Amino acid sequence: MNRLVCAFVILPFLFVPISSFAEEYPSQIPAGQTTETQAPASAPSAEEYKFEPSEIEKKPYHIGGYFEFRPILYGLDKEASLYKLKFFNQDVGKTIEDYDGRLWLEGSYEKGIFGVFLKTNLGLNHTYKGWDHETRIYEGYGSLKPSSSLTVDVGKRVFNWGKGYAWNPVAFVDRPKDPDDPELPREGYIAATADYIKSFNGPLKTFSVSPILFPVYHRINDTFGELNKLNFAGRIYGLLYDTDIDLLFLVGESKTNRFGFDFSRNITTNLEAHGEFAFINNQQKTSVDSNGNISTAKFDAKSFLLGLRYLSSMDTTYTFEYYHNATGFSSSELQDFFSFSDKVFDTFESTGKKNQLIKAETLFQGNYGKMNPGKDYLYLRISQKEPFNILYFTPALTTIMNLGDRSFSISPELLYEGIKNWEFRLKGMALVGSKGTEFGEKQNAYRIEFRVRYYFSLP
Amino acid sequence: MQNIMRILLVLGVLITGAPAYAAIDGTQLLKQIDRNLNPESYEMYRKIINIEPSGRKMEYTFYSIKKGLDKVAGLFLAPASEKGRSTLRLGINMWLYIPNVGKPIRITSLQSVIGGIFNNADILSLDYSAEYDVEKIEETGNEYLLYLKAKTKTVAYDRLKLWADKNKKIPTKIECLTEASMLIKTLYFKDIKDFGGGIVRPSAIETDSPLYKGYKSIMLFANIKQRDFKDEVFTLTYMPKMDSLRK
Repeated sequence: MNRLVCAFVILPFLFVPISSFAEEYPSQIPAGQTTETQAPASAPSAEEYKFEPSEIEKKPYHIGGYFEFRPILYGLDKEASLYKLKFFNQDVGKTIEDYDGRLWLEGSYEKGIFGVFLKTNLGLNHTYKGWDHETRIYEGYGSLKPSSSLTVDVGKRVFNWGKGYAWNPVAFVDRPKDPDDPELPREGYIAATADYIKSFNGPLKTFSVSPILFPVYHRINDTFGELNKLNFAGRIYGLLYDTDIDLLFLVGESKTNRFGFDFSRNITTNLEAHGEFAFINNQQKTSVDSNGNISTAKFDAKSFLLGLRYLSSMDTTYTFEYYHNATGFSSSELQDFFSFSDKVFDTFESTGKKNQLIKAETLFQGNYGKMNPGKDYLYLRISQKEPFNILYFTPALTTIMNLGDRSFSISPELLYEGIKNWEFRLKGMALVGSKGTEFGEKQNAYRIEFRVRYYFSLP
Repeated sequence: MQNIMRILLVLGVLITGAPAYAAIDGTQLLKQIDRNLNPESYEMYRKIINIEPSGRKMEYTFYSIKKGLDKVAGLFLAPASEKGRSTLRLGINMWLYIPNVGKPIRITSLQSVIGGIFNNADILSLDYSAEYDVEKIEETGNEYLLYLKAKTKTVAYDRLKLWADKNKKIPTKIECLTEASMLIKTLYFKDIKDFGGGIVRPSAIETDSPLYKGYKSIMLFANIKQRDFKDEVFTLTYMPKMDSLRK
């Protein structure tokens, strides 16, 4: 099995055509009917460039995607509550390693007004627990496009609602984002949806309506909420006075009703502002005190996000977001949970009884284990495009701070995309916070990962 | 007699002393240059080649469409790492759709969706006459030199110096400048080609920049055609479906 797995991870990289590197230094002779030009006189050689008709020929089908290999080193914090909760009965050392391999495969076939689209993830990883794998369809749907104004899709789709980069409180029909890596693909839900678009002259330039039928039944979106319900969601979009505005809602009985809006606007040529507001009716929140007493509260939750993206004259991009998560836990509520976890771990060590540990773990699997379970966050990402004239090289620094307890993560990264169809990313993350804080009590003190991707496309 | 002399004197001054460009309508000339470059509504394919000082290069293939004065959209066809990315411009508004992200995000005209010297404003360019006023025209040999000033602060380059062939009324060179007249980049229009349908224009634009010493970028054009599109094609909702427009 291990050999098979290694082969799965390594073979794609061996089979990547050597020409993908060689093409960086081509010496091509132009053909008769192609567009040609001479390189500037100061270029290293008087190369000629060509534009072949075959490069722009359209085929009805497309297959593409990428191979990815991602080794990760986690530095563990043995004093942290979540470390004790996870590794209470085993010693895995000071560090653990993950080796993740992935084949992301996309395919489509279009004929006339019909189309089918598929995105699948074939993942294989090795952790301290051993080997694991995933074969999952992230998106797979049929599409009917009778006119440029109307599209009807049926199947599994990702909707990606919201304008926020790190968080999307209005994403009522999407799985949560990972704020540490917001561009990671997410699995969709099965739904029937339509998009009707209309354009105008005047202050309202575009108007679109996207209703969604969202079933929740056994084996159909069954992790979403209460089963055997047909929910209805929708989005109304307008480009009004050069501002993107969405009105969004989800009604039905699988979850409580929720409504929201978002906006995005370019203030100047180098400054963009965006925001989201979400209202969740009758939200239920279960919390635990430091002695393990569980209480449940119901309330109307009003979450919002405000963000800016600014491009400086030095080509530095600053992305800043403030997120108020009304469904989250205050710093004292989080501290209570961590105190409870510590207590039950101590009890386990002294008595060997696991009952309370299981209770804490169950709570963690719920709301306490969300990516960011707190109430108020700041996100700042600073990325520098091509410093020192190194083309396709983008270093960046990202920090996420829980404003309630002042704990934070800080992540430097180096991204290089200078070899055709290859992407290399080295990323680190340090978690900083005192006892009883969100980032101070996570199981890791730091993380270092290297990610390499090779993209392919047929035709 | 004195009146006649005065009239002749004034006419003489006007004829001999007035600069030649006074007879040229700058706005009309710029509109003519725009129409000679592209039909008002079109589809086209472009290849953008970034060349590093070492000679190493990266190529991007791009399909783009335009309608009227302020609607432009584009789709990356190659390389595989960029395939499916689409861009949309409605006047001052610009968006980038990345398949992995799954939704359009707003971008600014000064950013570049690809590396290299061409930025979003170059890739999603509108008519020059839609974004610039002609401040002054000079005649230099076989060329006009048009001094252009951005109509609003939202335009990527505050000033342009545009050299155009007098007979063909096609640009030969454009210098892109800041408000303080600092040179950002120079575009060289080359290799005039008949694309059919009455479109005869440069098939390549080369650019260099003092901000990227030693680097060059080249844009090659192919299959430029007059084509009308519905307004609904130029919307955020349509961005993931742009490939369906290609024939």
